[in-house]
This record gives sequence, structure tokens and C-alpha cells, in this order.
Amino acid sequence: MSVLASVWQWFADPSHWQGENGVPTRIVEHVQLSAESVLIGAVIALPLGIALGHYGRFGNLAINISNVGRSVPSFAILVVAFQIFGLGDLPVILALTALAIPPMVTNSYVALREVDPDVRDAARGMGYRELAQLFRVELPLAVPLLMAGIRTSAVQVVATATLAALIAGGGLGRYIIDGFGQQNYPMMISGAILVALLALATEVSLSAVERLLVPRGIRLLMAPKMRRATSFKVA
Amino acid sequence: MNRRPIWLITVLAAAATLAAACGSSGGGSASKGTITIGGFDFAESSVLSQLYGQALARDGYTVNYKLRLGNREVVAPALKAGQIDMYAGYSATELEYYNGKLGEASSDVTATTAKLNLRLQPLQLEALTPSAAVDQNAFAVPKAIAQKYNLTKLSDLAAVGSQLVLGGPAECPTRPFCQPGLEKTYGIHFKSFKALDADGPLTRAAFANGSIQVGLVFTTDSDLGKLGLVVLQDDKHLENADNVVPIIRTKVATDEVKTVLNRISANLTTEELITMNGQVELLHQDPDAVARAFLQQHKYFGG
Repeated sequence: MSVLASVWQWFADPSHWQGENGVPTRIVEHVQLSAESVLIGAVIALPLGIALGHYGRFGNLAINISNVGRSVPSFAILVVAFQIFGLGDLPVILALTALAIPPMVTNSYVALREVDPDVRDAARGMGYRELAQLFRVELPLAVPLLMAGIRTSAVQVVATATLAALIAGGGLGRYIIDGFGQQNYPMMISGAILVALLALATEVSLSAVERLLVPRGIRLLMAPKMRRATSFKVA
Repeated sequence: MNRRPIWLITVLAAAATLAAACGSSGGGSASKGTITIGGFDFAESSVLSQLYGQALARDGYTVNYKLRLGNREVVAPALKAGQIDMYAGYSATELEYYNGKLGEASSDVTATTAKLNLRLQPLQLEALTPSAAVDQNAFAVPKAIAQKYNLTKLSDLAAVGSQLVLGGPAECPTRPFCQPGLEKTYGIHFKSFKALDADGPLTRAAFANGSIQVGLVFTTDSDLGKLGLVVLQDDKHLENADNVVPIIRTKVATDEVKTVLNRISANLTTEELITMNGQVELLHQDPDAVARAFLQQHKYFGG
């Protein structure tokens, strides 16, 4: 109870909500780091996964390679990148991008593979060329799983961006690291709560984006299948 | 695969023979007794342990080393339990450890060591005469900054602090020896504070890319000169007296042992400690070789 009360007090203190160490500043830093990493990751991972899924070749290879990437701890990447690039955002973004790529590669590959072969054949039969088939038939059908991959990546990245504080960076991890160093446990717990809330907010807002992206007809048509696919993240 | 065990056994046997040979030769014909020296898990502690240990061995004691045991929370209990007989400590930090962080330590080394001995007595322990060598917190600035603002001591920072960023461990803004002390004792108000580490790689990187101009370092740090950093003199005595001081079990501390150890402490200076730390940390020499060279230089062998 006393812990909860002290955490509540921490949140209630107006001085924690302003200035360069205030919650709004830290959230902006955290979101910025995470967004940059997920964007860079998406630019690399989505074309790769989509191309592999579309052609249906080298899929296992790509997924296994990207899973190897997953098993390298972000912390290790961060430390090595820090040795090379020094202080700043770059080592953090490298580590987070490496974390963001695998779920997006895997999900986009599976999303394209999952497109019903009959639908592909029908598209071909109606005279769609390769690219038109991909963009107008396969991708709209793949959006739900694609977005599930992006969501998984984004949530992981938001939760892991706390690592930035380990190399003197900003973001919400600052509260956790500083709270630990100063033995200010209310600050530490508040930081952890803020990260969890931000990760939840990421999940919710990306779900909203997904709802906007899926064409209405497909959404209605695939409603039961889609729900299964997204909740059963193939990642 | 089959060969590996044989190799291992050969190597182990060789090592054991060597160790036995060293042990017998170190003790001489008639050992005056066995003293076990423990050490903290950083290079300087190993150097100090070797200095005290080799001097004792030279005097005819059999010395066992248990170096790099861990932090004080590991080493001090080992001393109390008699698993080690002595270690090279630091006056103020030892006092604050043994008194349960009462804040009794000061920048006065004599007073601090006297208070430390009051705490050690009931534990059958003793702090000997502290050395002039000090390993304590200090604040460093890059040479260019020091020249630009004409800085040599911490009180010089008061006028220009508002233009400079301070870097240090995350706890610095709440610890009396760090930011609050600089504000209260020296009236230095920095532009901002950047949470890094205690004189580690982050602090070095932050100095290198100019994101801090003042940083917390340790006085015996060997690569400050190489990094182009200047330590500002603590002219108003903010920092506690962390002079090197042997902490030893009273049972072991005979007059002869004390004489040998005090002679080492009396000969040791901060500059020499910095040099020896550098030989170990930067040139990757063995602490025992570095200590031997120091003792030879001070004519402990055949002198």
C-alpha cells in the first residue's frame, strides 16, 4: 500500500510533469526513438517479407536468419554500437531496429503466403499483371497479418527503448535507471508504469490504423478468419 | 576429444608443481606465520594487495592472496569471519561501511581513521596508519575548458558553472559528495546534469563528444592525462578522506607486521598509485610485477 501511495505521490507532483526531465519530454523522446526504429525496420523488413511471400521462395531461410537476429540481445547490440559510434541516439536506434525487423519479416512473409491460391489464380485469369496482382489483390488481403507484425514490433520496441537510458540517452528508461541509482523506487516504478502504458497505447492506436487500412469489403468478408489470424500472431 | 583430459591433467600438474615451488621459495626457510590478503575487484586493489603482501613476504611471512573477491560487502565480512587477515581499504569509505552510513567521515584523514578504529575495535580489527595516497571522487574538465575559463580548483567553477554541463552517475543529483555538495560548499550551479556512470566509458564518451564539460572521476584514475582531462583541486574539502589504509585483524597485527605495512603506506603517494594503476590498466602488466618494481625502486629488496 505504501508503495502504491508513494508512486501515486510521484505522479501527483507537478514538478515531475515539466522541464527537460518531465514526463512529457521523456514520452516525446521515447516515442521518437521508437518510431524512428520501427520506421527504419519497416523499410527494410516489409519489402523483404512481401517479396519473399509473393514469390514463395527462400522463405524459411529469411525467417531463420531474422530469428537469429532476434536471439541476439538488444543490450549486446547497444553496447557494441556504443563502442563504435559513441554517445547518442544512433546505437539505440540500431539495437531497436534489429529488434523490430524479425516480427515484420516473418509476418509479412506469412501474410502473403496465406493469400488463398485460388484468389491468385483468379487474379491471373482476369489478366492482372504481376505488380497489379500484388498491390491490388494480395496486399489488401494481407493487411491484417502485416499489421499484426508491425504491432508486435512496435510494442516490443517501445518496451525495449528503456535501454537508451543505459547509454545516457533519454526516454522513459531515464526514470528507471535514475530511480535505481538514486534508490528512488517510486520514480523507478512510475517509469515502468509509464512504459507499460505507452506500449498499450501503441497497441491500441496501431489497431485503429489497421482498421482504417483494411478495405471494408475484405474486413466483412474475412471477419472471422482475420480475427483468428491477428490474435494468433505468427511471429 | 580423447586428448583433452590428458592435456588438462598435464597443465594442472605443471601449475601445481609451480605453485608448490613458489610457495616454498616465498616462505623461505622459517616462515614467521601465514597472512592472507583479500582484495576488491578492481585493478588498484590488486596492486595495493601485492605491495603490502610482497613487503610482508620479504620480511619472512608466508602470504596468501585472495584478490578480486568482490565489493566491500563481500570483502569485509570475509575479514570479520577470519577468511582473510587484511585488505587495503580507504579510510572514509571503510568508516561509513563499518558505522552503517552515519555520515561521520570527513575530509580530515586523521579524525576519520580515529573514528574508524573505534568502530573496528569491537570486531577485533584495526586500521593502520593511512597512506598519503588518496583514491577519492574528484571533478575533471577538459584542458581546453580549463584554459578558456582559467580553472585550477573547484571554487573557480562557481563563476562559470551556469555555462557548463555536469556529468556523473545517476545518483549524483542526490548525493552530498556530488551535485548538492558542489552547490552548497562551492556555490556552483550547473547549466544541467547528465546521468552517465562513475568515471566509466559513458563519462569518457560524453567528454569526447562535448556533451559534458565537468565530470566525476577518481583521483587515482590512470588515463585522465591521456584523455586530456584536468582534475580540479578540492580546495574547500568537499570530498571525504579516502586515503589508502590497511584494515587488519588485531590478532595478526604484531608490531613487526605493522612496521612493514606502515613503511609501505608511508612511501606511497597518489601519483605513484596512478602510475601503477596505469601500468596494470593501460599497459596490461601483472599487478604483482608492478608492485615488485615499486618495491625494488624503494629498495625493499636487498636495500
